[in-house]
Amino acid sequence: MTTPVLICDDSNFARKQMARSLPDGWDVDITFACNGEEALQAIKEGKGEVVFLDLTMPVMDGFETLANIKSQDLNAMVIVVSGDIQPEARQRVKSLGAIDFIKKPINKNKAELILKEFGIL
Amino acid sequence: MNPTLNVTITEDQRDCYQEISNVAMGQAADLLARLLDVHVILPIPVVNLLEVNELRMALSGIESTDSVSGVCQGFIGNGISGEALLIFNDASFGDISKLLKYGGELDNSLELELLMDVANILIGACLRGIAEQLDVVFSQGHPIVLGQHVNLAELINANNYRWTKTLAVEINYKIEGFDINCDLLLLFTEEAIEALNTKINFLLDD
Repeated sequence: MTTPVLICDDSNFARKQMARSLPDGWDVDITFACNGEEALQAIKEGKGEVVFLDLTMPVMDGFETLANIKSQDLNAMVIVVSGDIQPEARQRVKSLGAIDFIKKPINKNKAELILKEFGIL
Repeated sequence: MNPTLNVTITEDQRDCYQEISNVAMGQAADLLARLLDVHVILPIPVVNLLEVNELRMALSGIESTDSVSGVCQGFIGNGISGEALLIFNDASFGDISKLLKYGGELDNSLELELLMDVANILIGACLRGIAEQLDVVFSQGHPIVLGQHVNLAELINANNYRWTKTLAVEINYKIEGFDINCDLLLLFTEEAIEALNTKINFLLDD
């Protein structure tokens, strides 16, 4: 079954890097978003069963996006992918409902490990 | 120096520099957060290709009327050279001194010690983060004090730049719940931009 995957990051380079880091052979339909607002819209349209979410973004950052996903009870498994590696950022995103946190720069192994750990893959 | 050197960066390259800076500044902020036991508010790095004399105008994190202190440190490696500047709003020193628990009266020499210690951490970590991603190694020079309790123009003019155009990365750090504001600037030389663009193109084409 094809999994709708949403990649949300304000950087085009980071979005491409994330897309390239998805495991080979994983049957996905990828949608891209440049900020939290676009991400919420895409999730509501069913395009984000699995979401890779950046934190530092204009318009709506990752923390606010997570808070919205939680308060609106949207159906999405969110993995935060961020350069903000402070312990508190990690705790905050977990408490806001993110299933895990990946440090940037992303690589294929990390993405695959986490997807397997949560039974997504 | 070749006066006809005409360097440019494309939008894709600018985006890539911004993302690389974003990752590096996060690593630096993590060290600072652990040192001070605080949460550092991370900005979106601002990447600009500009004339050195436009630099003061381009800085968004620090007001031109603020009283500031700053240090700079040169770096070089793999044909890429530049300078890193750390500029503190002087109002920050009271809170930094408390957080670092240095004690003693907050005079010029204590402020200088705080400035040097934070610069050492932030500049070192940020350069390391960038070098790792570009697969280069930077050697760092000795830090030089640009000035204490001066305005931004005086501070920037204190540094006599030998190049005219620069690729400038501005990272404005603030600390949650404290009156601490500093600007970390990475200025790459004109000659470095070409070497950097080559590195960046590898990443973009990957």
